[in-house]
Amino acid sequence: MKEQFVMEKNKIPVVKRSLFSWIFSGNIKLQVLLVFIILIMIVARVLPLEMQKRIVNEAINLRKMDLLFLYCGIYLASVIVASVLKFLVNIIQTLISQRVLAQIRKELYHHILTLPLNFFRKTQAGMVVSSLITELPSSGNFAGMAFAVPLSNILTLLAFAGYLIWLNPLLALVSLSIYPIVMLFIPFLQKRANTANKKRVDTTRKLSSRIGETISGIHEVHVNGAYHIENSKYDKLVNQLLKTRIVWTLYSQGIKVTNNFFNNLSPFLIFILGGYLAMKGQLELGALVAFLSAQEKLYNPWKEMIEFYQIYQDASIRYNKTMEAFDLMPEHEIEPKDRDPYELEGSLEIKDLMFETDSGIRLLDKINFSMKPGEHMALVGFSGSGKSTLAQCIGQLYKYTDGHVLMGSKEVSDLTKKDIIHNIGFVSQAPFIFTGTIEENLLYSCLAKTDENGVMPNLDDIIGVLQQTGVFVDVLGFGLNAILVYDQDTNLVSDIIRVRKNFQNDFGEALSDYVEFFDENKYLYRSSIAENIIFGSPNHTSFAENNLSQNEYFRKFLNTAELFRPLLSLGMDLSKQTVDILGNMPAEAVFFDQSPIAPDELEEHKDLVNRLKTKKLHQLSTKDQDRLLNLALRFNPGKHKMIALPQILETLILEGRALFIEKISTDDPNAITFYQMAHYIYSQSILNNIFFGKITTTHPKAQEKINQSIVHLLIEEDLLETIIEIGLKFHVGSQGDRLSGGQRQKLAIARVFLKKPKILIMDEATSALDNKSQTRIQNLIETRWKGKNTLISVVHRLDIIKKFDKIAVMKAGKIGEIGTYQELISKKGMLYELEFGKK
Amino acid sequence: MNSNSGKNETCPSCEFQDNLDILRQINFFSHLPLEALKVIAYLCTRETFKKGEYLFHQNEDDGLAFYIISGKAGLLHKDKDGEHLIRNYPEGEFVGGLTLLGPLHRLFSLQSTTDLTCLILTREKFAKALEQFPDLMPKILKVVVDIVRAWEERFLGDYSASCDACKHNIGVSLV
Repeated sequence: MKEQFVMEKNKIPVVKRSLFSWIFSGNIKLQVLLVFIILIMIVARVLPLEMQKRIVNEAINLRKMDLLFLYCGIYLASVIVASVLKFLVNIIQTLISQRVLAQIRKELYHHILTLPLNFFRKTQAGMVVSSLITELPSSGNFAGMAFAVPLSNILTLLAFAGYLIWLNPLLALVSLSIYPIVMLFIPFLQKRANTANKKRVDTTRKLSSRIGETISGIHEVHVNGAYHIENSKYDKLVNQLLKTRIVWTLYSQGIKVTNNFFNNLSPFLIFILGGYLAMKGQLELGALVAFLSAQEKLYNPWKEMIEFYQIYQDASIRYNKTMEAFDLMPEHEIEPKDRDPYELEGSLEIKDLMFETDSGIRLLDKINFSMKPGEHMALVGFSGSGKSTLAQCIGQLYKYTDGHVLMGSKEVSDLTKKDIIHNIGFVSQAPFIFTGTIEENLLYSCLAKTDENGVMPNLDDIIGVLQQTGVFVDVLGFGLNAILVYDQDTNLVSDIIRVRKNFQNDFGEALSDYVEFFDENKYLYRSSIAENIIFGSPNHTSFAENNLSQNEYFRKFLNTAELFRPLLSLGMDLSKQTVDILGNMPAEAVFFDQSPIAPDELEEHKDLVNRLKTKKLHQLSTKDQDRLLNLALRFNPGKHKMIALPQILETLILEGRALFIEKISTDDPNAITFYQMAHYIYSQSILNNIFFGKITTTHPKAQEKINQSIVHLLIEEDLLETIIEIGLKFHVGSQGDRLSGGQRQKLAIARVFLKKPKILIMDEATSALDNKSQTRIQNLIETRWKGKNTLISVVHRLDIIKKFDKIAVMKAGKIGEIGTYQELISKKGMLYELEFGKK
Repeated sequence: MNSNSGKNETCPSCEFQDNLDILRQINFFSHLPLEALKVIAYLCTRETFKKGEYLFHQNEDDGLAFYIISGKAGLLHKDKDGEHLIRNYPEGEFVGGLTLLGPLHRLFSLQSTTDLTCLILTREKFAKALEQFPDLMPKILKVVVDIVRAWEERFLGDYSASCDACKHNIGVSLV
């Protein structure tokens, strides 16, 4: 976050920077080091040529062995040094390009997050993702190469050329004369290739939209038997693409061929001219050898330059396109430059407020009202009347186009974001919950507001807010559903065993409808087959549910108990059915919560189901059998509804359980802790441990009822706070998908309440709550907030507005009437109409 | 209000298959392709309610649709004079399909009048399933339009020209 603010204050915005500006940005030392290394490298590259000449001319001609060793030694050393340096250059280049890439990515992302909400309405998330992930690497690559590649290649070219001229000016000029010619040809060809390439992209797009259309209209095609019509439309485009691709490939290849041709032409010129000169005695044989190899070595740097040119073209197009897409400025400063954020008074004064969209539609029209600190106002009206827009303009989420919003006499549009978050709490209509724990989400607003030295709320504050907003019972539920780690929390464990006994006495009977107790003589429909067989929690990992299928002892036991084959067959049914239902579903919790196959195993099972089409169970590989057995052992008929548990298997498993307990008690008595009242079951949740059984309902209201009856017990045993702390660590899943709509909304309200803002704006913030939670929050607002904190509440349900100080009724972007509930109802105006309908 | 055990003695097939058969009989779902119905049937859960328990409450937005598998329930409406029974729903009724489509506050409450078992689908699950089958929305909209039209037709059938108060209530769909 710090980096972002630095950017806001001092630098040119990232979207205005040129591609070239990144080359040295933060990398000056590396770039200088690079130049230094390159210079040495070039010397090391030229040196072997001179050695070559001397080896032929001096050592071999004069038959001097010592000179041969010396020159060869220098040759070898230069080659090694050049290679090592080249490697170093690559390392530094990589370092620079990756650092530049990371820097552009960070700065662009930081910039994007501050863009106005309006921008995100029109922008697909996928576009932002692909911009940041796939479009930017070429810019990083370019920045890494931008200095080193041209420098080293041009210098190498110059050095070789210089050396050639030094050897023989005439021969050098003739052999170098090919490059100007190549430089004439290549841009010409490149231009043609680019045109063909653009055409190729267009045709490919057309082709894919044609395929899309035909596939979505496949029903119609079949009905009409219109295969040949669709085929001919498709074939026409494919033929077009065929031609374009050929042209494009020919031009691209043409560049390479031209380049190669001229480079190969060069030795021919050297041979014919050099041979002539050598015969005339005007050129030493060694020099001719050196000439030939120097000329050959010109090819690489030349090729690299051409490649660099192409990378530059590509990177600059992508970079400019990307930056163009985000070339917008935040509507408000993020934080004040040279002052602390304001602590404003909670009064509001709205004067002639207007809000128009870009296309000129007036959503708010001359709104006027004022509120004293601590006053509460409800905003009601027909949908589309501008209630939410008004709330969002006051909360600085949209920039109003005209008029004033004065908050504690400061104009809201002039305030920075930081001033706003210090004084306003905003609960949106559809609040967003982020991946992480309950606690992280609860502290989200406070953390955003607080500086490094700021004080964060403590556990008492948190528990207070949890209770006020009614999310307490939910968090308690998460805590109760947690599984404790073996041998940690030993105090808690002994407490829970004590609670278990009291629970059985106090509530055992009342809640028996909701619980399946662990009973050695009954099949447990809420437990997996593995749990049903071992009837306890494993003390060795080899007896853990996921390892059982590979546990030799257990497999042998399954055979003895005549369970192996039936389980394999059950696993097969389970795999087939699950793949059939979920085969094309994405890896989201909602689809896989009731599935025995985890999302990351789905692909393997798809393959397995394919193999099962041609193979019988006994023909499967051991690995596949393991997989099916593993799946069967996980099967929990209370949860996995895609197949039923055959009665015969149920009986076999119950008999197997008795046999297993008997066998393992003699063979390995410490392997399993059986379900017994005196033992904590580490494989089960705290709640199941208290129950000594498993809950049989998933209905949230039933769960709430159960949790409430347990609260008593936990208070008596002084365990409530501990369980809540565990519950706060609950992971809410990706985008909070493990929470219900109501839980999400309560959590969102709690996180804003925790911030204790002076002005609270709630935009239909309680719409997903049940009546009880709704009433609870309403009471809280009336007793604790009224007179102290200002509240604007956009309300859909009219049954909760009676106690507000003021009610503003909106219609078509205007405030139609404003007053207390009684005033407005007796006036028989718009509120009356909203509540009792048109008469 | 507890869901029934994992095993189903009365039915040799499994719960998923039963759910699928039920959904195919419900007008709201019957036009959907089998691929989508399978996923929806899989996402449905079963709950049992004891006599007198509420399936949903007036003014709440619980986002649930119910199919009554066995038992009966009464539809209640509360106004300033108290709670009135509107009508009874026997087994085989599908209640609350519209809540699947978007946030809605209940205008009624539903209370079981016997012990009752039902199939439940939540709005969140339904929406997630729809995301995977984007071309379903037009089909569902068509069903909704049909339902609204059928209501109005029923109103018109019940309406007698001499009743002034009734006049006020017709013309909702304006088709």
